[in-house]
Amino acid sequence: MNNGHSDRVIDIRHLSKTYASGSEQIKVLKDINLEVNRGEMLAIMGPSGSGKSTMLFILGIFQPPTSGSYTIAGVDVLNLNRDAQAVFRREKMGFVFQSCDLLENSTVYENLELPLIYTGVKRHEREHKIMEALQRVNLEHRVRQPSNRLSGGERQRVSIARALVNEPEFILADEPTGQLDKDNSERVMDYFVKITEEARVAMVIVTHDAATAERCTRKCLLSDGVLKPY
Amino acid sequence: MANKTLQSLRAEGFLPKDRGTRLLRFSDLLRISFREVVRKRRRYIGVMAAIALGTAGLITIVTMGRDLKANLNNDLDLLGGATIIAAHFDLQMGDRQEWFRTGTIDAIEKIPGVKEVTKSRFRSAATTTFQEKVYGFNLLGVDTNYWSLFSFTPRYGRLFNDADISEGRKVCVLGQDLAKMIFGSPEGAVGQMLNLDNNLYTVVGIIGGVRAADKTLMAFLPITTAQARVPNISELSSLYVRCNTWDDVAPVAAALEKTITTYQPSKGLRIQVGWEPLKQVQRVFWWVSLFIYASIGATLVLGGFGIWNIMMAAVTARTREIGLKKAMGAEDSDILWQFLFEALCVTFSSALLGVALGMVGVQYMCRSLGTQPPEGLFAICLLAGLIFAAVLGVGSGLYPSIRASRMQVVDAMRYE
Ligand SMILES: Nc1ncnc2c1ncn2[C@@H]1O[C@H](COP(=O)(O)OP(=O)(O)OP(=O)(O)O)[C@@H](O)[C@H]1O
Ligand SMILES: [Mg+2]
Repeated sequence: MNNGHSDRVIDIRHLSKTYASGSEQIKVLKDINLEVNRGEMLAIMGPSGSGKSTMLFILGIFQPPTSGSYTIAGVDVLNLNRDAQAVFRREKMGFVFQSCDLLENSTVYENLELPLIYTGVKRHEREHKIMEALQRVNLEHRVRQPSNRLSGGERQRVSIARALVNEPEFILADEPTGQLDKDNSERVMDYFVKITEEARVAMVIVTHDAATAERCTRKCLLSDGVLKPY
Repeated sequence: MANKTLQSLRAEGFLPKDRGTRLLRFSDLLRISFREVVRKRRRYIGVMAAIALGTAGLITIVTMGRDLKANLNNDLDLLGGATIIAAHFDLQMGDRQEWFRTGTIDAIEKIPGVKEVTKSRFRSAATTTFQEKVYGFNLLGVDTNYWSLFSFTPRYGRLFNDADISEGRKVCVLGQDLAKMIFGSPEGAVGQMLNLDNNLYTVVGIIGGVRAADKTLMAFLPITTAQARVPNISELSSLYVRCNTWDDVAPVAAALEKTITTYQPSKGLRIQVGWEPLKQVQRVFWWVSLFIYASIGATLVLGGFGIWNIMMAAVTARTREIGLKKAMGAEDSDILWQFLFEALCVTFSSALLGVALGMVGVQYMCRSLGTQPPEGLFAICLLAGLIFAAVLGVGSGLYPSIRASRMQVVDAMRYE
């Protein structure tokens, strides 16, 4: 990790993404340059359909960009093989989806256990980590609840807790507070700020909420495929 | 910085060392798959019932098919004598009739595929007087294995034993009708004395068995006794060979002629094979086998297609779940194993259920047929069921699992 630019986590150069929709070519991202350091919390804002989720998917190595380069802590992640990408995701990254996807027919506990299983955490250490993650989003009492019996906000909080359970160094969140009330939203943001400052985590948050964006260290606006400071 | 691998990233300290928790991960995946199958049991219940019933049927067919085969072997063979080859020396005009030498018989017994060999001496138009009436019949001097070779059983009393032959005892066995004619009833004949050329023979038994129908008017003496005491008894000019199975008949028949001609003069040798019954028996058996194997095949194919279908549908329906798991850091192999384990969970549990059902079925059928279930049936069924389940699970689950594991995260996440 200490290879020259010790605090630099994300480094994106001349990145663009084009979707082919039938005969049409949709240019969603055009020549994006972006750097995110440790201890930084970046808010990305922008109108619906401007490509914010696309940007996060590329950051999460879920899909490759059409052109450009992307390194994380100096490693060219676009050239990693699939298994290395998977290991990278589970060891370093936490992801909160816009749709707050949870595993259906599974309890909250089982949802949070999955990242721990893939990381190979021993069974007796899991319960503690899971309860800790749930505490941060104020949901310890729902640990045995089936996921399909949770409210929208509860689902969102479970999905945040799941992204945190592995203590990632790099968190990507797509509208993490979109469905939360003011109290819960603040609680989550408090914790995000805390780990950014204390654990020197790098965080990218897509949000429409001004209050959420206000708490970040830096704000960007994505519109017409171009990313500008805001 | 091109094409970094996992190993190099770990070596650089960018990613932590492999925790060596492969086994733990495997057991977790297995547990999750099992849980998934249990929770989605409604989806699997149809195919599980099909496989269970199929396996149960399979076990019953295979086990009972063996019984059927054994029964057929006996019954059809008894009726047709398909595996019995007869060798005779015909009477030659002007020459002395040839007979089988001891050395020849020893050599015949060593031909591969030969189960038993028996020899007999014959005398036609023998007579006896009983209560001042004269009766005529044909007489046969036979060895002990004559009975087993033709599947004769005692209807009353007993047949000859080794001591009767080796000591040349004065005992005889009668055909049923002959016994009835002379002594009034077959069961009453046992223990009576039969007078033959001024020798008295104790009637020890009445011949029975499926093939006894054309021997009802004959009398049998131990071959040694007949040779010593019956005038005009023939030379050892008739020989019967029983083959192990139908398939041995043709090669044994060919080898038989060659062996006899090598070991002794073979003038007037005639070898009789029941080709026609043999063909019929083989045809019937071919159909039975076809039926058995077709059933096995149908069960395999049907069960396999059921699972394949369900798994393919599941891969499509669970696209989001796959994407989610990959986003959380599941490797391709984790997804592959999870889906394969699910298929195997379904096949193994249904096969075990099928084995249990099949065992009950076999026990029930055996009880109603009055036969014994084969030795080690349980172990065989269990083994067969497990192998069957593994083949079925891997065969039908592998392709859907591979498809699931190859899915791109974003395709899965954007899927609605
Ligand atoms: N696979 C795809 N093929 C073609 N077009 C796509 C594909 N995925 C996304 N798009 C298009 O790319 C654009 C950006 O989508 P994206 O989901 O990134 O928007 P967004 O900024 O997250 O919007 P929102 O705020 O509503 O979530 C949209 O117009 C969308 O229709
Ligand atoms: Mg979006």
